[in-house]
Amino acid sequence: MADASRFWGRLRKNPEVLLGLVVVLAWIVVVIFAPLLAPYDPLQQNVSDRLQPPNDVYLLGTDELGRDILSRVLYGARITIPAGLVVIVVNTVIGWLIGAIAGFAGGAWDEAMMRTTELFMAFPTIILAMAITAALGPDIRNAVIALVIVRWTDYARLTRGLIIQAKTTEYVEAARSLGAGNIYLLFRTLLPNSVAPVLVYGSLDIGNAILLFAGLSFLGLGPEPSSPEWGRMISVGVSFFDQWWMWLSPGLAVASFVMAFNFIGDGLRDMLDPRSAT
Amino acid sequence: MPFYKYILRRFLFAIPLVLGITVIAFLIANAVPADPINANLPQNALGNERLVNAFREKWGLDEPLHIQYLVYLGNLVRGDMGESIKTRNPVASDLRQFLPATIELASFSIVVGLVMGIGFGVISAVWRRSFHDYAVRVFALIGVSFPVFLLALIGLSLFHAQLGWFSGPGRLGFLTPKPPHITGLYTIDSLLTGRWSTFRDALSHLILPSLVLGSYVAGIITRITRSSLLDVLGTDYVRTARSKGQIEPLVVMRHALSNALIPVVTMLGVLYGNLLAGAVLIEAIFAWPGIGRYAFRASTSQDFPAIMGVSMLIAFIYVVANFVVDFLYFFLDPRIRYT
Repeated sequence: MADASRFWGRLRKNPEVLLGLVVVLAWIVVVIFAPLLAPYDPLQQNVSDRLQPPNDVYLLGTDELGRDILSRVLYGARITIPAGLVVIVVNTVIGWLIGAIAGFAGGAWDEAMMRTTELFMAFPTIILAMAITAALGPDIRNAVIALVIVRWTDYARLTRGLIIQAKTTEYVEAARSLGAGNIYLLFRTLLPNSVAPVLVYGSLDIGNAILLFAGLSFLGLGPEPSSPEWGRMISVGVSFFDQWWMWLSPGLAVASFVMAFNFIGDGLRDMLDPRSAT
Repeated sequence: MPFYKYILRRFLFAIPLVLGITVIAFLIANAVPADPINANLPQNALGNERLVNAFREKWGLDEPLHIQYLVYLGNLVRGDMGESIKTRNPVASDLRQFLPATIELASFSIVVGLVMGIGFGVISAVWRRSFHDYAVRVFALIGVSFPVFLLALIGLSLFHAQLGWFSGPGRLGFLTPKPPHITGLYTIDSLLTGRWSTFRDALSHLILPSLVLGSYVAGIITRITRSSLLDVLGTDYVRTARSKGQIEPLVVMRHALSNALIPVVTMLGVLYGNLLAGAVLIEAIFAWPGIGRYAFRASTSQDFPAIMGVSMLIAFIYVVANFVVDFLYFFLDPRIRYT
């Protein structure tokens, strides 16, 4: 109880965390209730109302085929956000496995795996993802696969550090002396003791994954053009540059999501860093 | 450690990295597409048996994988990165043509980011917990988290289309002739040849995209400068400088800042690599004819060899940039010389 009130007190000193949480919660509500919230069908074309600026009938205006932009942005949350989530979940699993094996095995294994992560990090994330998506053929699934391939490195490095630290603790020693094998140690002893920081890192990384996914889709490497996916809407909107409402709304949707996660991450770091309290 | 030994050592570290980059690029090019011939040749060449066989021959596609890699590496060393499907030119010559524009944009952006970032970071650290500090921290948070492509669109719409403060897309206006090719950087070439109106035009086209691209760098550098300067300002030698009666601006500028900037320099190589990657979206929006827009056009037309070429080039530049940082580091941090 005392802990909760102290946490609440700190939260109030870091309003950006609160702001970020509210925005993320709002988007979760949108993902679940998009059909109830959207005033129109996101795919319904209404050519007589095309390229309308925001007005009373179409709150955020209409696009080049007269589709309601508000409805498209709301439905778009159902594509972009789950895509980002899938990327993060798979990243966490793969990154944890690679990092854990490297940290646990040590020696040549560790060396080889860490040099490989460094190589991947030398490539610019978005361009490597572009290359892989282009090679596989552009669609949502392949964009997600590409992001999974290029983004596991941070997770592997984080996990490796945690495992190396945990490996020397007494409870691991104890388990080993009771005859626990490597697989048992890795999954029953070390996994529960190293997974929390990785999950925290992953949950704060969702914003970045979504930014990259929207970026790929902006470059034409995601869903097909009629899809109400945010990045795709922006790229279509850019060809109607003077009709700013076409690119601004989906752009702000991406921005609000990415910034919310950055705000939360940043505030949490401040709250947990004892130096910042002074 | 003497200078030559230090540099040689860093250089030897870079070699396996460069080789590794080629291995990854090779694996993606060969393992990921269902059929490398399909991915690398234009549609209308696929039916032409002679072209397909020539391609197979050139890249050793009938050989086992490790031989294929050696063939690939051999071609690469000769500067052969394959042919772009879209432009029909060798990728290497396309890259040579488009690289200077990107270098100009990225270098200008990193200067913008450094000036803004260090300036704001110093203000924020010196007047800690003041209104200025708070404002700078909000700026930094927004700078690192606001998507650059949206910033580019808003900037272009507001400062070019609405207010007309800066020139819009492209490197030069329609009527301005290109400066003679010396370095390929229009601002520098026009200065070297004394073409002032061209210089002004090139500069006014450069400002908006550099501000957008530099804002992200500025956010990061602001944060590093602030925290590192705060650490240094609490050290004994700064207290000594103050107790000698040194005036505060001199303490900050001469004693504290020179050491506080070491972490900033460390980050420069990584940031330059990030800038080149961020340039893909910015160049696409600003119609900036660099390798980023080349990659963008390649990706919309599934021009696989071209994208692979860009990604490898940027990875190499990243390695070189970090090598240059190591080089600078030797002079900035005397501790290296004595270990």
